[in-house]
Amino acid sequence: MKKNKVVIRLLCAFSLAAVAGVAVAHHSFSMFDRETQQVITGTVARWAFNNPHSWLYLNVKNEDGSGETLWSFEGAAPPQLIGRGITGNSFKPGDTLTLMYCPLADGRQGGAMGWVKVDDTTFLIPSDGGCRTDEATVTRWKEWLGKGIRSNKDAAL
Amino acid sequence: MTIATAAHPRKPGFTKLALLHLLPSLLLGALPPAVHAQFGAGYGPPLQVEPAAREFATGDEHYAWLLQQAKGGTQHTQESVPRWDGLWDTAGNTHMDLFVDGGLAGGTVRTGVLTPAYEVAFRERWRQQQEEGQVRYDRLSHCEPAGMPRWLLEPYSHEFVNLPQQSYLINDFANAIRRVYIGQEHKNLYGTHSWMGDTVGFWDNDKLVMHTKYLLPADFTRWSPMTSNLFEAVESWQLKHYGDGIDRLEVQVTFYDPHAFTKPLNAVYAFKHATALQEAGHRPQHWECEQSSNSYLDENGFTNFRLPGEEGYKDPRGSTLFPELPGQTRDPIYNTTLTTE
Repeated sequence: MKKNKVVIRLLCAFSLAAVAGVAVAHHSFSMFDRETQQVITGTVARWAFNNPHSWLYLNVKNEDGSGETLWSFEGAAPPQLIGRGITGNSFKPGDTLTLMYCPLADGRQGGAMGWVKVDDTTFLIPSDGGCRTDEATVTRWKEWLGKGIRSNKDAAL
Repeated sequence: MTIATAAHPRKPGFTKLALLHLLPSLLLGALPPAVHAQFGAGYGPPLQVEPAAREFATGDEHYAWLLQQAKGGTQHTQESVPRWDGLWDTAGNTHMDLFVDGGLAGGTVRTGVLTPAYEVAFRERWRQQQEEGQVRYDRLSHCEPAGMPRWLLEPYSHEFVNLPQQSYLINDFANAIRRVYIGQEHKNLYGTHSWMGDTVGFWDNDKLVMHTKYLLPADFTRWSPMTSNLFEAVESWQLKHYGDGIDRLEVQVTFYDPHAFTKPLNAVYAFKHATALQEAGHRPQHWECEQSSNSYLDENGFTNFRLPGEEGYKDPRGSTLFPELPGQTRDPIYNTTLTTE
């Protein structure tokens, strides 16, 4: 049993290494600010596990308390995500999630997903080339989250 | 850190299989980003280009010579035709080496490979890639098919079906199917070219030799040059076994394009068993881009998105044109709506 757990982790390592470096997409990522990584928390409005790209939609509470705004985050294509253990049922409407994203450069409410924190110990990586994310990225962010950091720009200060 | 994965069935040989996957992982980790961009590179031994035996003026001439060398080709039966069953994904290629020295990150355009007009056009693309980090737009964004030769590169999942008289080479990037007519002549009754062109082929024992022409002009990828309507490809497909369970389907290709290339170009592309996808139960689905993609070419020449609530947004999980009827949502399990106000 222990041996197989190790093996599963190795498989995960393979999957992550394989996907992290490959900018797979049917479009350019020029609309994203890929130098910026931010964290946001919201409630799942929809997980659209569709080709050619997946999209995760979150209802996010407005900072001024005036209600909620729908935010849109793009991820990789389903065939890539299935290989990482992510399916059309991974995120369900009503789930509260925290995710890291590279924002749209024009400031609208959206971006490219990096990782999604499902619970205290589980991170999924639905990223594509719009927000390159690998195991090292998640490890770095776990430390930053522990310090209350919500943007890589703040972490650099 | 815990990375959740799909449940993997415990079965004999699973550990060995997983370790076989670890090796490419380690290799990938050691490779520079430019190699990563070659869609699955690092699986098995380094890919080696096998150039054409001699120079030919056209793909037609090249293919005819190969057919002659093979004495008309091997006539396979249903029992003897090579089988490439199961799901496959890309396992690297030497594609960018054709056009760039130094790879995707920081490489420079090779001179003398492209004709002057095509080199000028490519240098602008390459400038965007290097200076802006991305080529600004990709024709697939408005739902053009990948087509051939881009089909060779697209890293979605693949299926290959060989029959004695025909082969079907399938990429689930929007249902892209290449049809290879074994032992036949080229035909084109449409009076124009097409995305996959017309492909004829023959078997040389376990090698599938193919010739494709009548292709629409397009591009290999965002980072690659354009190809013209005189583009041809002569391909040789063969499944190679490297021991320790490493099987790789290798495609040696010679490209001909008198408008774009100063001389024929040789490259190799490869595919490997998509073990993780297969174990997870993945089955390719028919999909199209028109209703499920909201990327577009904006007024500044860049790729952009329409978001929910914006004019022109298409909801891939919304209803059909008949919302008044029960059961017309395309999100039948969760039945979600996106509220933007």
